[in-house]
Amino acid sequence: MEIRNKAQAGTMQSSDMMVFVEAADELIIEIDSTVFKQFEHLIRQRIEQQLKVLDVSRGRIRVSDRGALDYAIDARIETAVRRSQEG
Amino acid sequence: MVRVIQGCEQTQQVVELLARFELSYESDVDELLGVWDSHGRLLATGGRRQALLKMIAVAGDQQSGELFSALVSELIRRGYQDGIETFFVFTKPQNYHSFSAVNFRLLCVTDQVALLEHGPGLAAYFRRYQGLRRTGDNGGVVVNCNPFTLGHRYLIETAAQRVDWLYVFVVEEDRSSFPFAVRLDLVRRGVADLDNVIVLPSGPYAVSQITFPGYFLKNSAQVEHQQHQVDAQLFARHLAPHFHIYRRFVGSEPYCQTTQRYNVALNTLLPEQGVEVHELPRATSAIGAISASQVRRLLRQRALNKLSQLVPETTLAYLLSPACEQTVRWGDSPGRH
Repeated sequence: MEIRNKAQAGTMQSSDMMVFVEAADELIIEIDSTVFKQFEHLIRQRIEQQLKVLDVSRGRIRVSDRGALDYAIDARIETAVRRSQEG
Repeated sequence: MVRVIQGCEQTQQVVELLARFELSYESDVDELLGVWDSHGRLLATGGRRQALLKMIAVAGDQQSGELFSALVSELIRRGYQDGIETFFVFTKPQNYHSFSAVNFRLLCVTDQVALLEHGPGLAAYFRRYQGLRRTGDNGGVVVNCNPFTLGHRYLIETAAQRVDWLYVFVVEEDRSSFPFAVRLDLVRRGVADLDNVIVLPSGPYAVSQITFPGYFLKNSAQVEHQQHQVDAQLFARHLAPHFHIYRRFVGSEPYCQTTQRYNVALNTLLPEQGVEVHELPRATSAIGAISASQVRRLLRQRALNKLSQLVPETTLAYLLSPACEQTVRWGDSPGRH
């Protein structure tokens, strides 16, 4: 999938994340997290993995994370990417 | 469930909830949201004016739950739909951790307020102007240039002689007679021949439109004092270290008392934080000290022959152009220099 329009998914409630996506020429992942120090690399890894599953190779992905678990990361990323397909 | 506040009755509930936290209600918001319980009691409220979140309050017995983060999420979600990426909030210093917990970053804190941002913010601002970063013993000026005059030219030229690189931050907001894009362009043209001068937009990080929340400060003198501290901290803690700025230059201010007080405040506040302040005398012309407000007055009176004593050729060419006629808004904007 290609990220087309600006789109957003998720919330900043505990154990969730808010995802913002927009088109870009390369893949840029920006992470703000309350658990950044301990888990930044794992969050990034999981996002990259899910983007691969969705076949997204470029776009700007910005997340505001509050300790989301893997399945929540997957769901929020997928929803945001799908929403970006809509006008 | 977070919902939009509607009607007098709900607004009155907001006023009452805010009052419990000694916050006052302000009607100039783009969005005002609330959360109610099943009995119709308002549990939480929060508003947004452009990029600034304001009037956020959560009833005392609800503060340990997720109401606050639900409310902030919804404000940000809706703001993002309106095209805003970076959000700001002022809060009491003792409360700023609530916002850190939802990924707001602290920009500065005084004895009475903390300013935080959420989103790409300062990091994105620095990335955008990464190519303009220079090492050295650098200086900085912050100017509105509404429009660029020989006075600005004198300030910048003189300051540039005393430093390795001089950064000219042009106040990035559209509340002056001359729109930001025009002001920036006239500054760039007006200093194009100065090799060590770097002109860049200030973002929201200098003399900003993040207007100050009168709603939790008692009087205007107090608001102004806090605003000066916030502005000085943004410069000294963020802009100055990033661009290796050790000296801030300001023009002396013979006319405007607001600017005079701002200069006095910078003189006290910046050196405490490691940035020297140099006040340079205002340039004069045959018709007195040069000011942008004088230029605007003469332009309105069509006294074009006098203008050439106050502005460089680059600005004059614009003032005489049809584009200027169509673009400049005289309105009631107070307009800074």
